[in-house]
Amino acid sequence: MINFLKLISRNKLALFGGILLVIIFVVSFLSPLLPLKDPDVIKTSDRFLLPFSEGYLLGTDHLGRDLLSRLLWGTRLSLLVGISAALISATIGSILGTIAGFYGNKTDNVIMRIIDVLMAFPYILLALAIVAVLGPGLFNAMIAVALVNIPFFARNIRGVTVTIANKEFIDAARLSGMSNFKIIIYEIFPNILPVIVVTISTTVGWMILETAGLSFLGLGSQPPQADLGSMLGEGRSALIVNPHTSYVPGAMIFLIVIAVNLFGDGIRDALDPRLSKGELVKPQPVTQIKSNGNVENKSNSFLSVKNLTTAFEFDNKLHLASKDVSFDIKKGECLGLIGESGSGKSVTALSITCLVASPPGVIVNGSVKFQGDDILKMNYEQIRELRGNKISYIFQDPLSTLHPLIKIGKQLEEAFIEHNHQKNKEATLKGKELLKLVQIPNIENVWNSYPHELSGGMRQRVSIAMALTNDPELIIADEPTTALDVTVQAQILSLLDTLRKERGLSVLFISHDFGVVSQICDRVIVMYGGQIVEEGKTENIMSKPRHPYTSQLMECVPHIGFGKRKLPTILGSPPLIIYKKEIGCSFASRCLFKKDNCLNEDIKIVRKGDSEVRCLYPHE
Amino acid sequence: MNYLLQRLLSAIPVLLGITIIVFFIISLIPGDPATAILGSYATPENVKLLNEQLGLDKGLVQRYFIWLGNLVQGDLGRSFALNRPVLDEILERFNATLILSGTAFILCSVVGVLIGTISAFKQYTITDKIITFTVLTGISLPSFFLGMMMILLFAVNLQWLPVSGMYAIYGGGDFLDLIHHLIMPAIALALVATGVVARITRNSVLEILRQDYIRTARAKGVREGNVLFKHVLRIAIVTILPILGLQAGFVLSGSVFIEIVFQWPGVGRMLVDAILKRDILLVQGGVMFVAACYVLFNIAVDLLQRYLDPRIK
Amino acid sequence: MFRHGEKIKKLRKLFVSLLSLIFITGFAVTSNAKVLVVGQIAEPKSLDPSTVTAVNDFRIVMNIYDGLVRYTDGKLEVEPALAKSWDISSDGTVYTFNLRSGIKFHDGSSFNAEAVKFNFDRMLNKDHPYHNTGPFPLSFFFSAIKSVDVVNANTVKFTLNEPYAPFLSNLAYPTGLIVSPAGVKKHGKDFGRNPSGTGAFKFKEWKSNERVVVDKNSGYWDGKAGTDAVVFRPITDANTRVAEMLSGGIDMMVEVPPASLSKFGGSKFSIVEQAGPHVWFLILNAKEGPFANKKVRQAANYAINKQAIVNDVLEGTAAIAAGPTPPAFAWAYNNSLQPYPYDPAKAKALIKEAGVEGAKLTFYVTEGGSGMLDPVAMGTAIQADLKAVGFDVEIKTFEWNSFLGEVNPGLEGKADMAEMAWMTNDPDTLPFLALRTESWPDKGGFNSGYYSNPKVDDLLNRARSSTDQAERAKLYQEMQEIVQEDAPWVFVANWKQNAVTSNKVSNFSLQPSFLLLLKDVKKN
Repeated sequence: MINFLKLISRNKLALFGGILLVIIFVVSFLSPLLPLKDPDVIKTSDRFLLPFSEGYLLGTDHLGRDLLSRLLWGTRLSLLVGISAALISATIGSILGTIAGFYGNKTDNVIMRIIDVLMAFPYILLALAIVAVLGPGLFNAMIAVALVNIPFFARNIRGVTVTIANKEFIDAARLSGMSNFKIIIYEIFPNILPVIVVTISTTVGWMILETAGLSFLGLGSQPPQADLGSMLGEGRSALIVNPHTSYVPGAMIFLIVIAVNLFGDGIRDALDPRLSKGELVKPQPVTQIKSNGNVENKSNSFLSVKNLTTAFEFDNKLHLASKDVSFDIKKGECLGLIGESGSGKSVTALSITCLVASPPGVIVNGSVKFQGDDILKMNYEQIRELRGNKISYIFQDPLSTLHPLIKIGKQLEEAFIEHNHQKNKEATLKGKELLKLVQIPNIENVWNSYPHELSGGMRQRVSIAMALTNDPELIIADEPTTALDVTVQAQILSLLDTLRKERGLSVLFISHDFGVVSQICDRVIVMYGGQIVEEGKTENIMSKPRHPYTSQLMECVPHIGFGKRKLPTILGSPPLIIYKKEIGCSFASRCLFKKDNCLNEDIKIVRKGDSEVRCLYPHE
Repeated sequence: MNYLLQRLLSAIPVLLGITIIVFFIISLIPGDPATAILGSYATPENVKLLNEQLGLDKGLVQRYFIWLGNLVQGDLGRSFALNRPVLDEILERFNATLILSGTAFILCSVVGVLIGTISAFKQYTITDKIITFTVLTGISLPSFFLGMMMILLFAVNLQWLPVSGMYAIYGGGDFLDLIHHLIMPAIALALVATGVVARITRNSVLEILRQDYIRTARAKGVREGNVLFKHVLRIAIVTILPILGLQAGFVLSGSVFIEIVFQWPGVGRMLVDAILKRDILLVQGGVMFVAACYVLFNIAVDLLQRYLDPRIK
Repeated sequence: MFRHGEKIKKLRKLFVSLLSLIFITGFAVTSNAKVLVVGQIAEPKSLDPSTVTAVNDFRIVMNIYDGLVRYTDGKLEVEPALAKSWDISSDGTVYTFNLRSGIKFHDGSSFNAEAVKFNFDRMLNKDHPYHNTGPFPLSFFFSAIKSVDVVNANTVKFTLNEPYAPFLSNLAYPTGLIVSPAGVKKHGKDFGRNPSGTGAFKFKEWKSNERVVVDKNSGYWDGKAGTDAVVFRPITDANTRVAEMLSGGIDMMVEVPPASLSKFGGSKFSIVEQAGPHVWFLILNAKEGPFANKKVRQAANYAINKQAIVNDVLEGTAAIAAGPTPPAFAWAYNNSLQPYPYDPAKAKALIKEAGVEGAKLTFYVTEGGSGMLDPVAMGTAIQADLKAVGFDVEIKTFEWNSFLGEVNPGLEGKADMAEMAWMTNDPDTLPFLALRTESWPDKGGFNSGYYSNPKVDDLLNRARSSTDQAERAKLYQEMQEIVQEDAPWVFVANWKQNAVTSNKVSNFSLQPSFLLLLKDVKKN
């Protein structure tokens, strides 16, 4: 709860809304105690006094009643009615929605059809009809507003319930013999409560408006009782001559609703997990760079990465994803980058052209020299010129990395058009040529297909073709074969290998799989916990891994022809890297060869021959 | 085509449900049309006589089936209060509602999606803040209050725009005249829906921007403008389409207030009058008509979505 | 680039013309035509005068049709119209009318004695082939008619059951307007949307909730109309009506909300006022509850500050009512009658005497309706006044038609008081329909408060069958005194109807009959 309040108060607008709301609440609910005039006392000779008249701070209405007093009493009533309506429809709607979502099948069908029917009505007409049936009066207006909003709640809650009802813990509860009723109360309800709260908070304002609308039409509160809507309705008949009688309640409705909305947004944001994870923040086209630029990089390699450190920033705290990563790639060389998920390999790959989503990504330090120029010092336009042109990417799982609604052909042409300012015709020729190059049969067909219509292998070929569009010099392939089955994987690998050799391409090949890396890479870097732990020629590392992590990782590779052997796993899980001075070897806790001093000091990477290793006791 | 047929068929139970609710709720409204017809001079005796003439002395269920039978044949009956066939009146008035709600709907869709996208794309800039604030203001203003204020300012004080109605009474009647009359009610009606659409668009654009295929586009070196228009917007529209379908309902509902404030000769105002006057057949026919349009509109939205999103098949 | 722009232009043109094809309903009046635009308070129900009951509808039909007789300009006296002259038999039961010849309905058919007979038979005779084009709620105005006979093409004879003094006045009322039999035969139930009469204007079009347009009838028998056309615009909301008037959207509006009258000072507008036979009152339930006691009814009359209502709530657009008969019926009005003064102390004393201090009362209020002025504000003011003398009044508001549906069947078991207003054409109508024992709701009348005084019953019956105006006047004056003393109602206000016209409009005046006559109005 305190956390929750903290979250809300961090959002200044929500805080403002909340404070405004509290003020309105307190003042209006205290109105019986405040030294106000009687809201119903008529003094027709004092009618239509303007605001700030003597004795009447906000003036008087058409019967000479004190507007300030009526406003506060009216606000109290409107709030009461709006909130009650929201609570009633939330309760009934949530019950219906939960039942429909939880039981599914026929129950769901029947309830949802009825909801559909109700939703097809213009709600205000339905509310009008209900008030006409029940008779005019604020209470009846509230009932009507509550009733017409039930479908809205039921729908929302049903959606959430369906997702939750399919989760494992519900199955578990069922298996443990819990009754359906108990499951709903103890398992489902706590999980949908946030959604209910959010929905209420975002609809209270709406309900207040709707009830005001009914009162405005004269179907709500009965004279002399005032609510904001009926005040506005009364004011309307004097709008032209005495507009202040409309401004006053109109402004109050506006204030209440905007306060409710601001506060409701705050609640929603506080309860929405996506927000705290920064998922609703626009990723910049270029990763934010907070490097002090002091890294000296005198390398003349084709690509030289030095001390590259990338972090994710949450709540003003930096969580490191990769730390002081340095490596070179020579022209025409294929470098493998290997590690478990979370080892920082993908972040490193994306950091090269500043593609790490930012926020939350931040490049904290380092230099990436490509053909002599430091990419991290380039502006956006220069980086964009490189991307898809001299440096291109092949991503894992093309189903999610290809645009689902654009035809293959269009996607293939795009990089060409963006970088060559050429007409579509050439782009089409080039694209089809590339499809041929990656051995796609039936090019015309594929050209006009959407990604989801192709097989996984086909899609990956398309991605490769796409990467080759502008004859790049460096291809960064981020687990390009992971989502594919073994035969297709082999085909794609050999295709990549052939292409790179034919074209003299440099490749940074990222994988978690030694088997794959060994087939294509000249050199391999092993990453663990955001750091490079070992580097060396592929054959050397394959035959004689020196770091305990490398050797354990290699154990996990299934060897063809060895039958059903139990695959060893690495004990424990990769560490969470937090930006603090860590002491000792980050792998120590999982290492089978750990010694006491492994945790005493930071382990430096040590070069020996043409390989490097970060271990005090490497295998020799 | 098959899908269309299937959707239309599945709409039938919904429509049938609508007929039941329409008929019974409206029939529950106390008071009787005979009083409305006879006006101030309605005596209980005359009222009873007239109710018999109108067939209102029959049982409710029997009346429902008579009504339904006629409805299926396209006969919505005769309005008691207006003394003319219900369908004639609805068709005449629906045109006006369609123009108003249609304009407001297009306005809220186009403007909402546009400013939502811009606001997402310029997140945390001054543009974003201005849009967010405007949108918030927009969704917090009761449309009838806004309409009143607009009339006061633009029509009465500045005399830029006409106060009410759909066409000028003389010298008007052309397209420009319609636009002239349409500006205020359409804006007042669209405002809330625009705000809602813009907010939802902003959030879904932000979510879309996190998707892998957007990273792919950026990795290809696609310019940000093209990322926005070719990649983001295409997905955004598909995601927002169902929301727009819902908004159509809100706009249609909201038009009731706007038609009253601006004296727009539409169906919403007709129905409010008809409910108040207990003009049972007109209410039943009118609500039925509007609800059916809404259902059909949502089928159309579904079809459009299937067309725009080849993944749904 | 240039070509691109061209293309867009073309497309835009196409789009606009397509849209106009869809939306344009083909209405345009040449700008130099003299068209008078009248802001009406509601959409008309029908333009068939035999079927309508609302003043709002009367305002249109009076300009499309003529009756056999009509009210003299500015008075409530009857003068010839379609009938040149008439004779009344000495016993007062046979009326013979000599009709003008050569008059045509707008549809081209001829007006003659047959047409007159058709009109009244249609309303009164259940077996008439066009009786089903009704209902005819006001046909009881003519319930005294026994038969209508064609003497010759230009002479028609009405035979009454008994002498009936208000007969001629009723003929001048809109219900007595003569419709085209050919039109009724052609359109049946839809005649109300395709009206045809003999009036100064002929019907042109009716667009639902937008306008009713009538054109000048160039062949009118009584001189041509001063404008080429009149457009009646229904603007239900008084405030919008005011806004339209201020911004020039309409040339004339009736029933100006009192509070906005101040906006129409200046030379751009002129305000027209005319007192008429209107009375605004509260029906008190004399059958049960506190108001069964005459003292309490009188107390209510003392307790309510009518001066404040008339001057402040209604901004001086009405005068305090003294009794059941409005002073506009000058000949029948009892000038010695003084309104109940505002005297809360006396009211309290009476209430104490009756022993009903602090009683709870239910008060039916309407949101608006024919002649109801500003009913919610007035009701609220009345509620506050009654609260001041110790009554706890609960208001229930209803839309006009549901209000009538609640009030007309009687207040018994439901309410203690209800607002009501009547506009009538004869001093007989209101008391006859709403104050006699014989007109209790269960007997088909409008005496919803169950007032009963045999003396009043007798006076009214005698006044109705007398054809001597002086004698009738005496009877009505006596009735007024008794009714005021008995206080079956709280007599609140007599309305001075008002209208605002723009300075382009001339030669306009309001009629005491509350009817709107536009024939002689000119627009510059």
